[in-house]
Amino acid sequence: MARPGFVLEVDERTPPLLVHEGEGFRLERFPLGTRVVYPPDPLPRIRDVRGAIRHALANPHGSEPLEALLKPGMRLTIAIDDISLPLPPMQAPDIRQLVLEEVIELAARKGVEDLKLYMANSLHRRMTGAEIKHAVGERVYRSFYPHDLKNHDAEDRDNLLLVGTTEKGEEVEINKRAATSDLIVYVNINLVPMDGGHKSVPVGLASYRSVRHHHNVHTMLHSRSYMDPREGRSAIHDSCRRMGKVLEDAGIRIFTIETTLNNETFPEPFGFMNKREWEWSTAEQATYLAAKKLNDLSPPAVRHQVWMRMRSPVGVTGINAGATDPVHERTLARLHEQQLVPVEGQSDVVVFGIPYVGPYNVNSIMNPILVHCLGLGYLFNMYRNKPLVRPGGVAIMFHPVPWEFHQVHHPSYVDFFEEVLAETTDPATIESKFEERYATDPWYIHLYRTSYAYHGVHPFYMWYWGAHALDYLGDVIVVGGNRRSCERMGYRAATTFKDALEMASETVGRSPSITYFHMPPFVLADVT
Amino acid sequence: MGAKRSFLDEVREVARGWNWGRRPVVPRSAVDTTPPPPRFEFPTDWARTPLGRAARTAILLGIMRPIVWNETAPEVYGLEHLEGLKGPVMFISNHTSHLDATLILTTLPQRWRDRTATAAAKDYFFDVWWRSGFTALVYGGFPIERGGGERATRKAKQLIREGWSLIVFPEGTRSPDGWMQRFRHGTARLAIEMRMPVVPIAIIGAYQAMPRGRPWPKPGRPPIRVRYGEPLYPAEGESHQELSLRMQQAIAALFDEDRTSWWEARRRAARGETPKLSGPAGPTWLRMWESSRPVKRRGKPPAWR
Repeated sequence: MARPGFVLEVDERTPPLLVHEGEGFRLERFPLGTRVVYPPDPLPRIRDVRGAIRHALANPHGSEPLEALLKPGMRLTIAIDDISLPLPPMQAPDIRQLVLEEVIELAARKGVEDLKLYMANSLHRRMTGAEIKHAVGERVYRSFYPHDLKNHDAEDRDNLLLVGTTEKGEEVEINKRAATSDLIVYVNINLVPMDGGHKSVPVGLASYRSVRHHHNVHTMLHSRSYMDPREGRSAIHDSCRRMGKVLEDAGIRIFTIETTLNNETFPEPFGFMNKREWEWSTAEQATYLAAKKLNDLSPPAVRHQVWMRMRSPVGVTGINAGATDPVHERTLARLHEQQLVPVEGQSDVVVFGIPYVGPYNVNSIMNPILVHCLGLGYLFNMYRNKPLVRPGGVAIMFHPVPWEFHQVHHPSYVDFFEEVLAETTDPATIESKFEERYATDPWYIHLYRTSYAYHGVHPFYMWYWGAHALDYLGDVIVVGGNRRSCERMGYRAATTFKDALEMASETVGRSPSITYFHMPPFVLADVT
Repeated sequence: MGAKRSFLDEVREVARGWNWGRRPVVPRSAVDTTPPPPRFEFPTDWARTPLGRAARTAILLGIMRPIVWNETAPEVYGLEHLEGLKGPVMFISNHTSHLDATLILTTLPQRWRDRTATAAAKDYFFDVWWRSGFTALVYGGFPIERGGGERATRKAKQLIREGWSLIVFPEGTRSPDGWMQRFRHGTARLAIEMRMPVVPIAIIGAYQAMPRGRPWPKPGRPPIRVRYGEPLYPAEGESHQELSLRMQQAIAALFDEDRTSWWEARRRAARGETPKLSGPAGPTWLRMWESSRPVKRRGKPPAWR
């Protein structure tokens, strides 16, 4: 059994703690009494992954074995999680490759000929050939790309089908080829509790028309948190569930394959980042010093390349297949085993170190809006029951927040930052005044479809992602943040952590309780 | 970025945070969830090579002895008991101070010193690299685990078979109050199993000179007396409890001899009236008060004060 996560209380024996700050990291001393939430140790990895996949396909939950579902002459569509998972990208072979090879092997054996594969990228950018090859493996890539293995196109009117409408009036429009197949097999990587379940097909293969019903300010404000997909807790998941029901009622058959990974996030020589600081060996301390110095000295372009080439040595901890709900239930249980840490009570201040990569800047640049999404969206929401910080509390984040954008991947982000945020940071105003125009802008749609750009509406979603935190927090301070970028987003920039605490005292007083959310690796706080 | 630190500052921060050169510490709230550090056997054989022995002699006689003899006033008695004795033997002593091993090794004749190793607690003397290296080099130290058992004495047995005499402190650790603590039976067991003579040594005044918690002897050259006793031979069929008792009595007799005279101590020993070294019953302060009484100086008082 892996060692469970725990909450450290900083005392005079506590060494300085590792804090991520974009493409950099530092050791920071925290005030005595600070609580630090540490994730559990990595769960043991499955040694025979292929054997486990075969077992899962042959013994599914709530479904016949996959082999029995495959028939000659059928239309089979396989959808695959896209570039946003896992984080960082995993070392080859990617688990998607292993699952796909087993599924396609079965299909070939059963005489299936009409087989198409889609990267379920929804409104995310298209994946490049190299990225797809890394995810699906050379064999699948060579056999299917580019004609039968494609990126899903959420703006291809010819290949979208309005399947129906939920009882709340939400339109369910997904990839036509998938919707008209005899069977959809969805290959998922469930990195955090938000992923998977009915968020796979109804979102991954959907169009803007469909996604807008749950990616909006209202659902975000009513998803507390969206890392807690239990019914009634997360409006976005409730919406996805309703959409899943529409698909099911329309007779669309989905065979879900969900996988979970352990949290062995960083490869050597960065293995010290996976460990609790007081357990660092002398060699790891030396590695830290060397890595820190080299990282600080490197030209930004080199540093960026080093980080982006990092491949995670994660191990597979679970593979479940079958009907979506029973599979996802098991997936979440395994995920909680790896990530859940009980925490008692909230604090006045929560501290996040923002790492170099989030779901939307793989092989790209983490622009200020993505910092917002990762910090106030993902990290803030990594809780169950209630946030780590009290209402009106302060979030302190570490990140340089450079005023920098990837011109190919994030063109609409540039305009969002320059035009929209310059006018207002209020998510509701932004939604009502600007969203439609960006979402339907022909140039953004063209770039999304033909280049490698995120959809025009995507930066809005990133901003909504942090809507609950913006509504909830009293102040957001970024240590080391670019002052102009921070000001544009309504944050405040501090030079040092001590300055940040000084600034936070205006909101929470001079003796605040502090919680440092020590992540990555992923951790989910169960706050009681 | 936050305020930049120079590389030197970074090194200092790491050194301070991780207690370089000192025992690593675990935050209190993490003690229960932190596994013990991996077992690491610090190599010590190099310190017993001819080169290591030569370095040890040079350090002991060239550095340690002048320091100890300058800071304290040791006197040595009873070395004649070692004449005609064949090694390996086990030197045992009461243990009240970090001076003890130095006092024994610097007072032993060269022939013995050259082939004597010191059993040192693994958890204290072999926890960080520099202390391990110092213990191995200066004292010919080898790690011994306090818990006992076969693994704890494996190295000791190997050394004895190779002809090395050992310095062992049967109390296992320095006395917290200056009085002799219960002897652990591992020492007697080892002596019986290896059929080796045990030479008792009484070190009088080391506690007063440099008790636990002091890194340096008290000023004023406090007197210390090191008394070697007659070797004890494990008798046929003797149990380790019996030998352990004899060892304690032998050291107590040496204390008695120091306090009075050889003749009186012998007579009291024959009557079984040798004062015990376990100290007076009573609260800790009283025991410490009694044990910390200054040791009387011998000889003429100094000409100047």
